[in-house]
Amino acid sequence: MDSLAARSGSRRDQRPLKKRLADASAPYLYSAPALILIVTVMLVPLVLGISYAFRDIQLLNPFSGGFIGLDHFKTLSQDQNFYRALKNTLWWTGWSVLLQFIFGLILALLLDKPFYGRAIVQALVFLPWAVPSFLAGLNWAWLFNPVVGPIPHWLFALGLMSEPSNILSDPHLSMWGPIIANVWWGIPFFAITLLAALQAIPRDLYEAASIDGAGPVQRFLSITLPFLAPTIAITVLLRTVWISNFADLIIVMTNGGPADRSQIVASYIFTQAFKRLDFGYASAIALVLLVLLITYSMLIVILRQWLLSKD
Amino acid sequence: MASIDISNIRKSYGIHPVLHGIDLEIKDGEFVVLVGPSGCGKSTLLRMIAGLEAVTDGEIRIAGKRVNDLAPKDRDIAMVFQSYALYPHMSVAKNMSYSLRLRKTAKEKIASVVASAAGKLGLDPLMERRPKALSGGQRQRVAMGRAIVREPKAFLFDEPLSNLDARLREQMRAEIKKLHQDLGATSIYVTHDQIEAMTLADRIVAMHGGIIQQVGSPLELYDNPANLFVAGFIGSPGMNFFEGRYMASGETANFALTGGMALPLGGTANLADGSRATLGIRPEHVALGAEGLDVLKATVDLVEPTGFGIIVHLKLGPVAFKAFTLDRRFLGMHGEVNVRLPVGNLHFFDEAGRKV
Ligand SMILES: Nc1ncnc2c1ncn2[C@@H]1O[C@H](COP(=O)(O)OP(=O)(O)O)[C@@H](O)[C@H]1O
Ligand SMILES: [Mg+2]
Repeated sequence: MDSLAARSGSRRDQRPLKKRLADASAPYLYSAPALILIVTVMLVPLVLGISYAFRDIQLLNPFSGGFIGLDHFKTLSQDQNFYRALKNTLWWTGWSVLLQFIFGLILALLLDKPFYGRAIVQALVFLPWAVPSFLAGLNWAWLFNPVVGPIPHWLFALGLMSEPSNILSDPHLSMWGPIIANVWWGIPFFAITLLAALQAIPRDLYEAASIDGAGPVQRFLSITLPFLAPTIAITVLLRTVWISNFADLIIVMTNGGPADRSQIVASYIFTQAFKRLDFGYASAIALVLLVLLITYSMLIVILRQWLLSKD
Repeated sequence: MASIDISNIRKSYGIHPVLHGIDLEIKDGEFVVLVGPSGCGKSTLLRMIAGLEAVTDGEIRIAGKRVNDLAPKDRDIAMVFQSYALYPHMSVAKNMSYSLRLRKTAKEKIASVVASAAGKLGLDPLMERRPKALSGGQRQRVAMGRAIVREPKAFLFDEPLSNLDARLREQMRAEIKKLHQDLGATSIYVTHDQIEAMTLADRIVAMHGGIIQQVGSPLELYDNPANLFVAGFIGSPGMNFFEGRYMASGETANFALTGGMALPLGGTANLADGSRATLGIRPEHVALGAEGLDVLKATVDLVEPTGFGIIVHLKLGPVAFKAFTLDRRFLGMHGEVNVRLPVGNLHFFDEAGRKV
């Protein structure tokens, strides 16, 4: 026994240093390619993007590029357009998510009932989701345009408008154009996910409840809603982050106008970067948006943990 | 509590008929068991009584009142589902009180009714748990509790014990029976398990292919099955059947088994001479090791001890049948054995399968 231990001990000592080094680093070497790939693909652009926020980068000015510290953020804190964009973002996100959710839920409830031709209707309902957002934006821009589109004329005929005009060029209403397009475009997302959740509810629970004396409203409140709650929470959360970042429709339909009245933070970033070609300032705004969204997500995660621990 | 009258009920899914005219009168306080093989339409009938399926034709009356077009919630019945259908997001107490809360019953009344039901079912320590934290047997109890708090006109059970293991099933069966003795509520119980039917029922309704085959007390069905289906379905191990031809000869008769052997019958049966018929005898009536002139020589195929008794698989020529005995001397049996089929225990069925 003693000699065995001594021998194995001496053998470990005899292992050359090079070999020991190689053994110790083997796991890192094996995972290195994947790690390097992830770092370059994910972290480098992020760090670079963040670094722009502290530099003066203007595409048309070859002498720009210097480090300017917090100057962009100082400007930003006094930028009234930014504050309006921030308020518009809340408005845009809140109404879009709320209306998408309500209509999506109604649609899902309707599609959950069996009827003749349901499969075809389901397929049709999910169509808007497949339309590219730029195409959807263009389409709705035309629909709202009194020269080529019918909507202003309908609103006029209904007495909702004093003359057939374009709401996209009305400073007080322009925000609603992209919101309506966004609602149309995003309903299928909620309908699909909520329908899947609805179909996972065991039918005999509804039967038990109706025997227990529950009418349709009570069944909805005491069975459907509790079952949908987790799905509602996760989809609303996802869509909130997503929509607050989603500038395509606004860019295409109003371009943030008239006079920045329909600008949200995401579209304001786009405008700063690609219209005014001030990448540094755009990055600074993006950084603020990032911090806001991370804060929001953290709050939700904490809320979720709290709800789970309470259960 | 109430009587339930079912007259000429029919049900079709599309063009596919499932129930072909069911007539049944259930008396106030009676425990009726619908029994039959899977797919015979028991659940469909029960769900029509509950109001979960539309009635294609016919009439259902509860306490004399026609309920065909009444919603389930207005029929004042309670139902226990095979899956229990407990509300997963509600505690046991909330599950049990749901129907009372919907009816806006006073809080104190709910508390006392739920507590007394929980006491009856031994659920007291579990009241704050969610269904997913309960065992199968406990869930079953909660489902029962949810039904009894309401004191409904009738209880409907759809195979409530089939998801439990054998021991628990036996125990719950006894509890359901005791509960019925205490509450005396009209109950309709659906099962495919004939033992459950035999042990629980005041009256058994045997169904097959959407038609009632026989209605009667458990022992009536056991001793005097109306047809081949009931004879074969009730009893375990099942009744033995022999195909053959009835041969009358004056005061006595023979039964010529298909395969050549002839069974001397002590007397005559109500069958035409030479007509095809089926002879039935329950395994426990087959007398093993008999002596005398009227014995038959059978070969032993297999011996199955059940602990309680012994099931002996026998062959009479090519025809297989079973005997059941409590006598352990037959455990090591092999080769040939004398059997007698006592005439008093024979059942005859005509070509259409009707008892004669
Ligand atoms: N919703 C339905 N649609 C079509 N056929 C059905 C439906 N429900 C039951 N059936 C058919 O009706 C017959 C009886 O079913 P069921 O009453 O559930 O039988 P059991 O409860 O006796 O096993 C079966 O053949 C079944 O396939
Ligand atoms: Mg069934």
